[in-house]
Amino acid sequence: MRLYDAAAIVRSKNAGPFAVTIDLFFADEEHYRLARTSALLTPAGVAAAYGVAENTVKGVWWDDRILAAKVSLQRWSSSSDPFCADLFGAHLHTPLAAAELV
Amino acid sequence: MTEPVRILGFVNHIAPAADIEDEIAQALEWGVDVIVAQGTGSDWGPYWLGSGEQVSANQAANVEPYVRAALEHGIPFVFSFGIAGGNVHLETCLRAFDELCARNGWAPRLGVVRSEIGKDYLAAAVADGPPVVPASDGAGHGNLTLADVADAERIVALIGPEPVMDLLARGVDGVLTGRALDIGLFMALPMLRGIPTAVAAHAGKLLECGGLGLSPGDSGRAIWASVDATGFEVRSPSRDADATVRSLVSHTFYERSHPTLEENPGGTLDLGQATYRETELGVRCEGAVWHDAPYTVLMEGARREGFRAVSLLGVREPALLAQARGWADAAEAQVAAAPRFAQAFASGRLKVATRIFGLDAVLGSLEPNTAVTGHEAGVLVDVVADTEDLAKEAAYYAFIRLFIGPYPGRKTTAGNAAAPIMPVVVPVSEVFTFSIYHLLPLADPLEPFAMSVETFPRTADRQERTDALV
Repeated sequence: MRLYDAAAIVRSKNAGPFAVTIDLFFADEEHYRLARTSALLTPAGVAAAYGVAENTVKGVWWDDRILAAKVSLQRWSSSSDPFCADLFGAHLHTPLAAAELV
Repeated sequence: MTEPVRILGFVNHIAPAADIEDEIAQALEWGVDVIVAQGTGSDWGPYWLGSGEQVSANQAANVEPYVRAALEHGIPFVFSFGIAGGNVHLETCLRAFDELCARNGWAPRLGVVRSEIGKDYLAAAVADGPPVVPASDGAGHGNLTLADVADAERIVALIGPEPVMDLLARGVDGVLTGRALDIGLFMALPMLRGIPTAVAAHAGKLLECGGLGLSPGDSGRAIWASVDATGFEVRSPSRDADATVRSLVSHTFYERSHPTLEENPGGTLDLGQATYRETELGVRCEGAVWHDAPYTVLMEGARREGFRAVSLLGVREPALLAQARGWADAAEAQVAAAPRFAQAFASGRLKVATRIFGLDAVLGSLEPNTAVTGHEAGVLVDVVADTEDLAKEAAYYAFIRLFIGPYPGRKTTAGNAAAPIMPVVVPVSEVFTFSIYHLLPLADPLEPFAMSVETFPRTADRQERTDALV
């Protein structure tokens, strides 16, 4: 199953100009567990999905209370870059969301 | 026993919901001790900071219903204004606020905090003080240098709660600031009334985006909280939204790298042990911790990078869509190879990009699709050069190569694409970069910031004297 299909909400946004954070919210325990135990949602899995160095992934965190996860990474092109294509970082979830939860 | 401080929060760069008067009335029924709204941010990128312009959000109009309620009920208000929040941005908003007061017959006495950092002040801090370190490892910045200071068009800092506390303590009707830490605006009155920093910051964190922390989230709506020494209760003043545990915890995630730790001036807010419990009318929040750290303010500075010109072409020809990226790359290469541009390219004074909407404009090199899959696509020619003339000339050169350049299998030999915008080359604007995104250590949180108390609407004479600051 793709992350996009497992999550109820997949939202991407700047966390300051130089970082992007992707918040994932799951509708039920089953999908949350599937994500939580995946190799995709680890720093190495995230780095691979974006083709970036693992040390630019700031972290992957989980919140069991609200069945949510947070993924943060350095932006490879920020609003400080004259050719930045996504000033608000609102569409940077797509490579991660399209990946399979394995 | 500390009395609770009741806060009505909203976002002043977003237009209020049509029924905002009902929300304000509900909040007043619960009781309101201060009305707070953020109106600055860096999310739009460095353009506004560098250019001195600002997004056309009409912040004075957005605050009007709240200011009316505040003045009628003797409730102080705290607003940051001007998006990038430099002195010129704040002054634009203050003049609109002058007009708002004049039109309504209001004469409030307001504290004003100007958040711009003077270059002389900062140069002295760089030369004589401790290192001014980068705030983000992703920015590629080193420690701040005198050249960084000299090259910046404008530098602001996110003021903490302390300058606002100082002005509120003088009994003003409200405080208007330039660039500010959003949660600091909310922390000021609670801290002034003796509420612990951890609780004040936690409340600020949940209230800073107004109704975005509710369910459904909408920054055009307001949010309300009653803050005491051990925690606070959040409620939705709108009948069409609710404060829920999930909406509030989700909001602590919003626009933050870390889910539970947030570095602020003077310390880190730690929500790792925070608790949320639904009450009859909202959610009770407790358990925040504050870890003290040396006091620093985040500075933002913008440096000019050049001038942008663009051109847009629409493609609907199947033979061309099948090879759109190769065709656009060829045009880029032809601009780069043109003798008239060679020197500018080699020295980095000219940069050209083609972004194909329908193929790779959003993700760039991360895009897995290698060909257009839809029936049409748009090509944005994006040029940044050190002068407007050079940017326009290179954009036109690229436009022509795209428009008439041959490609394999072409049948449409009179023109390759549709041009939707006249002029075909559009001069956009100066381009800026965040050249400063650094932490300035401060012994006194008020020191670099010009503060005053003024009666609005200000006289023309007073506005003129303010011009000296902008």
